Amino acid sequence: MNTPNDFKTRLKIAKSKIKKNDISDNEKRGSFMGNAFKLGTELVAAVAVGTIIGFILDTWFDTKPWLIIIFFFLGAAAGMLNVIKAANRMQKED
Amino acid sequence: MASNPMQQFTVHRIGPEIKIAGVDLSFTNASLFMVISASIIILFLFLGSKEKKIIPDKLQLITEMFYTFVAKMISDTAGSKAKPYFPFIFSLFMFVLLCNMVGMLPYSFTVTSHIIVTLIMALFIFVAVTIIGFIKHGFKYLTIFVPSGVPAVLLPLITVIEIISYLSRPVSLSVRLFANMMAGHTMLKVFGGFVVSLGVLGGWLPLSFSVALTGLEILVAFLQAYVFAILTCIYLNDALNLHH
Repeated sequence: MNTPNDFKTRLKIAKSKIKKNDISDNEKRGSFMGNAFKLGTELVAAVAVGTIIGFILDTWFDTKPWLIIIFFFLGAAAGMLNVIKAANRMQKED
Repeated sequence: MASNPMQQFTVHRIGPEIKIAGVDLSFTNASLFMVISASIIILFLFLGSKEKKIIPDKLQLITEMFYTFVAKMISDTAGSKAKPYFPFIFSLFMFVLLCNMVGMLPYSFTVTSHIIVTLIMALFIFVAVTIIGFIKHGFKYLTIFVPSGVPAVLLPLITVIEIISYLSRPVSLSVRLFANMMAGHTMLKVFGGFVVSLGVLGGWLPLSFSVALTGLEILVAFLQAYVFAILTCIYLNDALNLHH
């Protein structure tokens, strides 16, 4: 006999099917491309900011080439940190 | 006439020159397209929410779709504490989206392809998020620069790196939107120029590229508005829920 229980399980299966299709087809692809666009600038921006900070501090303290070199590498490290953070966030979303 | 692909980005004055205290405040084509985008949003949302039917018509359906889209984005990324900031993020998303989309129309001007526009929006978000963080947590907000579980020897180095990473937020936020919009529109113009110069015989290949690129650009226009809004939510989340 067709009991209410039977109907419930069928509804569940149908619902999960709808959910799967929705996510895999549209949203996932969109968010993947969004993520791809995100990572590149994340890396470059930190290097640029680090270098600018180094340049400003250099003109302040009159230590011309040194701080800009140090802050360039610190900026590169910050860029990698940004990318790692963004990647962690992406993993958490999935 | 249209040989220079960068010509589409020139800002020129419309109407009389207005100067207040040495600052040029004239109405330009950029201001015109910002006004157009903002009026489309207001008109669209006004008409969409005018009649609150139980069975919505198309316009109301689209309005509700935008509302739930942004509301879901905020609750997914920043939690329930970010609810009060819904109006700000919604208007930000709609404004960037409409500026990008209006820019896709021929003969129009893309406001978001200018770094000054995107940088001002990003800096506003950056300053606002920092102020919200300090209001909610006081000086404890500074602990976002000090990750937990770092050896004391490395702490000064890590703190400096974290500060640079924090300061790079507005730069990456603004440069991403600006670069995507400008690169896309330049590319469209370059391929359009190829169609004209190759004529009827050879122009079909660049024309097909142009059509494909237009589709891609519409996707990018939506995606960049989405990324802009979702990153605002993420930054807001960092300020509201201090994890450490």
